Amino acid sequence: MKRLIASFQPLFAAGILLVVLLLPILGLTPNVIRILFITFVWITASLAWNLLGGVAGQVSFGFAVFYGLGAYAAALMINAGVNPALSFVGSAAVAALASFLIGIPTFRLRGPYFAIATIGVSEAVRVVMNNISAVGGAGGLRVTERGIFHQTEHYYSGLAIAVLAVCVSLLIERSKFGLALRAIRQDEDAAADIGINPFRCKLWIHAIAAALTGVAGGVFADYAAYIHPQGVFAFSTSVTILLMPVIGGIGTIWGAVLGAAVVTIVEEQLVAVFPQVHLLLYGLLLMLIVLLEPDGLVGLLRRMLRRMHVDPSSRGPDEALWGRGRLEGREL
Amino acid sequence: MTAVDFLNLLIAAVLLAGIYAVMSVGMTVIYGVMKIVNLAHAGFMMLGAYFAYEFFERFHIDPLIGAALALPAFFLFGMAVHWLLIRWLPKSDQPTLSSLLLMFAFWLVLQNIGYLFWGNMDRSIFTPRTLTVLTLGPISISLLRLIVFFAAVLCVCALQLALSRSWYGRAMRALIQNPYAAQITGVDDERIARITFGLGTAFAGFAGALLAMLYSFSPDFGRPFLIRAFVIIVLGGLESVSGVAFGALVLALVETFSILYVPAGYQPAISFGLLVVVLLVFPKGIGGLLERKWRPA
Amino acid sequence: MAALKDVSFSVPERHIFGIIGPNGAGKSTLFGVISGAIRASQGRVRFRGSDVTRLRSDALVHFGIARTHHIVRPFRAMTVLENVLVAVHYGRQSAKADAKAQAISALERVQLAPKARMLASALSLGEQKRLEVARALATNPDLLLLDEVCGGLSGAETRAMLDLFQQIRASGTTILYVEHDMKAVMSVCDRIAVLDFGRKLAEGTPAEIQNDPAVIDAYLGSGMLGTNSIA
Repeated sequence: MKRLIASFQPLFAAGILLVVLLLPILGLTPNVIRILFITFVWITASLAWNLLGGVAGQVSFGFAVFYGLGAYAAALMINAGVNPALSFVGSAAVAALASFLIGIPTFRLRGPYFAIATIGVSEAVRVVMNNISAVGGAGGLRVTERGIFHQTEHYYSGLAIAVLAVCVSLLIERSKFGLALRAIRQDEDAAADIGINPFRCKLWIHAIAAALTGVAGGVFADYAAYIHPQGVFAFSTSVTILLMPVIGGIGTIWGAVLGAAVVTIVEEQLVAVFPQVHLLLYGLLLMLIVLLEPDGLVGLLRRMLRRMHVDPSSRGPDEALWGRGRLEGREL
Repeated sequence: MTAVDFLNLLIAAVLLAGIYAVMSVGMTVIYGVMKIVNLAHAGFMMLGAYFAYEFFERFHIDPLIGAALALPAFFLFGMAVHWLLIRWLPKSDQPTLSSLLLMFAFWLVLQNIGYLFWGNMDRSIFTPRTLTVLTLGPISISLLRLIVFFAAVLCVCALQLALSRSWYGRAMRALIQNPYAAQITGVDDERIARITFGLGTAFAGFAGALLAMLYSFSPDFGRPFLIRAFVIIVLGGLESVSGVAFGALVLALVETFSILYVPAGYQPAISFGLLVVVLLVFPKGIGGLLERKWRPA
Repeated sequence: MAALKDVSFSVPERHIFGIIGPNGAGKSTLFGVISGAIRASQGRVRFRGSDVTRLRSDALVHFGIARTHHIVRPFRAMTVLENVLVAVHYGRQSAKADAKAQAISALERVQLAPKARMLASALSLGEQKRLEVARALATNPDLLLLDEVCGGLSGAETRAMLDLFQQIRASGTTILYVEHDMKAVMSVCDRIAVLDFGRKLAEGTPAEIQNDPAVIDAYLGSGMLGTNSIA
């Protein structure tokens, strides 16, 4: 039975992929396509955060910086006539560069100090972006339309980056670099004692996560056609990016994906009805998760599976997907 | 810059430092005993501001008295929060992800409850005192800032005294230094933690009420001050009240004098800029807390 | 106040060099200074002619110096094998074949190979201490710094650990061994330095140390000296 489920999992993933590939052809309403597109963007950002926060254990409240910089970089490049796909690469590069500038001072701080410093980062970057008139300042930036608006094109770019993020996450989790990151998460000093340079590893994973988040921002900017600092650089953007993997199940790929899907749907439905309440609900949900189900939705699912006498956590190769470390007792 | 300008700025900086100290000290105390980084501090400060505001608007109670009332009210509130939420966290002598996220979540909840009650409009407390300026020859001092400064300093000194003299203070310091030994000698760590959290919250509410007299506020009020408090803690170290005072003074000086060189729009980024400079210039941290404190070798 | 004062010694290659002393003698401080965990205000640590005084521990590993911790620090959420594997990957590269084989051979040396797939947190204290040694060994060190690895072990476990030291030395790795347990040090070390109040009291072979009047004086009445090596 276990083995059956184990071999079932890649099939399951392939099935999902096939369905989402075909969805636009099935004649869904533009609104559904839009929600799916946003889900893909959030999945990318959520997986990116998970690489730094879940795998390497460095909690950041500042991912809006990379999301916003990616959005602005893509917007400016598209306006300058660069091919959108190429401009997304530019988004990644800008965000990665920013991650080094931020990481070099802040990774001298450990654990919760790093986390608080990232609140400062996002604040400072938003203030600066509000004041640079060349990119529109607080008024924001419009992305020039190129030809007719094809929603499915955006849909497939969103899907492509989400798949890219899953592949990057899988590669890292199964590499020796991923092993080193897990070691750093558990005990930074002991990791250094076996020759790992924690500072350098953290800088690199920060850069990879930032690049992915930047691409997500770029794809979003291309779709939204209008961005402004209070939106993409907002603290609530950072909060959303952090919440998705935590709600889904920190440190796991399925968790990050699931969390992103749930958050997008909840947000889309709630924002329409109660514009201000969604952050309140996020807060309550996060409190419940921390206190009651530290492994998030994935942990809940796993417990349900276990009740059916199937234990996905005992399967070796799928550890990257399901994860193993609980939130509880994790030291920063 | 003339000598008079300099003196005026210097006075402004010192007055600012007082309030910065009172807002940081609550976080420091909680961290020291419980190893919890209290992100909800920002939420408590916001509530403190609205606490004074509501008393003033509804009952015409002087905001200074409102701030004084905030101390006991938020003390009880903090103890309740500890009883309801924090005591369920797994115990650890090091900061954990769960505690960080829990406090962050609680902050989100407080902030958005704030939005539900008061909307996102900026409010301010305006009393006849607000615009009164004392002039001493060429030097002018805002009366309100002077009063707030003395209230803040008084409170911080009272705390310092309480920590060094009372039974509670001794028990608390014992817990900071050696939790295990403290428990053996009969210190009830749960009770101390509850009182400590109440104390930290009381100071957050008090600081929020004081700040509300000086600045306009919205439910997002605490965030910029949370970052300032953090910068102060990095500058001054996490464990002592005097370290906090030192950090507060440095930040206040930098912020006040930066007015001369930095455009107003960039002002909110100053505190973080200072943090970056400190981290780059003193990689091991002024208070030595950046690396050493984490895991005793 | 200086925790250590004028302590100077050199460790010959392929020796097991012990450092002993009563509680508070400065053993841990000395160990911290050598392993890069504590910054000394003065003094030098030299390794094969290179100055390694202020190197961080990850840089020391690449010089061929690995350490263990007094209180074990395994990566609890990883398997035993992964614990050692990551050390092979990031330690000093050796010419030998693939990483997994090296990791398993390190585990075999400490007799943990059968538990390779278990989570490190599921091991007993003695096993975790051995894992700690295996992890340090997996970085392929020339000098192994061991901090009280026998503390808290049973008699049989201690004997097994001391046998392991002999094997490690035989394979060409030098050991610097800081220990509170006098018997263990006396039985396994080739040379010993005795610390007391942050000073070096004596240095020599176990036999010389046992007969050194200054050492006997320092330990007088403690009943820790003069016993035979455990057998």
